[in-house]
Amino acid sequence: MNKKNKNPFKTPQGYFDSFEDNLMEKLSKNESVIPKNAGFKVPDNYFESFNDALKSKLNTDSKVVPLYPIKKIITVAASIAAIAIIFLGYNWNTEEKINFNDLANSDIDAYFENYEFDLSPYEIAEVLPVTDSEFSDFLSSTIENDNILDYLDENVSDFEELNFEDNE
Amino acid sequence: MIVEETLVQELKTKTTQAQAFEVLVRTYKERLYWQIRSIVLNHDDADDVLQNTFIKVYKNIDSFKGDSKLFSWMYRIATNEALSFIKKRAKIQGITDSDYQDKLVSNLEADVYFEGDEIQLQLQKAIATLPEKQKLVFNMKYFQELKYEEISEILDTTVGGLKASYHLAVKKLEQYLKND
Repeated sequence: MNKKNKNPFKTPQGYFDSFEDNLMEKLSKNESVIPKNAGFKVPDNYFESFNDALKSKLNTDSKVVPLYPIKKIITVAASIAAIAIIFLGYNWNTEEKINFNDLANSDIDAYFENYEFDLSPYEIAEVLPVTDSEFSDFLSSTIENDNILDYLDENVSDFEELNFEDNE
Repeated sequence: MIVEETLVQELKTKTTQAQAFEVLVRTYKERLYWQIRSIVLNHDDADDVLQNTFIKVYKNIDSFKGDSKLFSWMYRIATNEALSFIKKRAKIQGITDSDYQDKLVSNLEADVYFEGDEIQLQLQKAIATLPEKQKLVFNMKYFQELKYEEISEILDTTVGGLKASYHLAVKKLEQYLKND
């Protein structure tokens, strides 16, 4: 038996076609607490008289511009004066420039001591030309071979720690 | 119904310019006015900005390339003019844009051209709390009933982005009004 024939109910014509629109309308009415009108108004006949007001403003706005307007002349004069003052001021205040050679070594040392550069050893290695440097460049006194052997003898318990074989 | 291409052509031609401009003003003044008014709130300021918008359109019509609709182009000019107006006024008074807008809303109570009731006044206070983009999208969609496609062309934003902005704005406003 056909299932459709079992249903004795029917709907008004086009009910399902207009269902969505009706639902949305109802939702928009019920859902929002926001008023549909903002409450603004305009003076009487504002829009009717707007064209005339605009025309008169346009006419005032498009008045003839003088060939040498006073404002322009003042601007140019002020610019020249400003440039002259800056130029003269520069000469008055000029002093001999300090270059790198004028810095005392102690100032440079103090600068490096007092400021942290946050550089890692790797970053320092990138900056320093290590390939052209020798250990002796960084040391104030030379180290004798005997001293090195004494140091190793005292501080290295196991000679194999030095991994000579790996480094060969 | 005016044909935009014809109107633009007439606006660019010296002999037909004046008449075409009158048609342009007659056609768009109300829509542009409500866009501006929704930003500056006060009628006198809206009038100033609307006149400046049309003057700008008149003087720059030659630079209109037709990449967008004339209506969208003018809407964009109106919106920018209104936003710049707010910024300029705030700067003159030495306060932030947001403080200036709060001030505009509080002035509404004494404004003879605002006939809103308590809820409408609260709504304006709520709108003032929204970020600029959401404020624009809400006003354009809710009060001016522009289509998302039109707003998209005016604000140069995707339709999806606009829908999200609008949805967020509505939720925030409803929340504000319910809590108040």
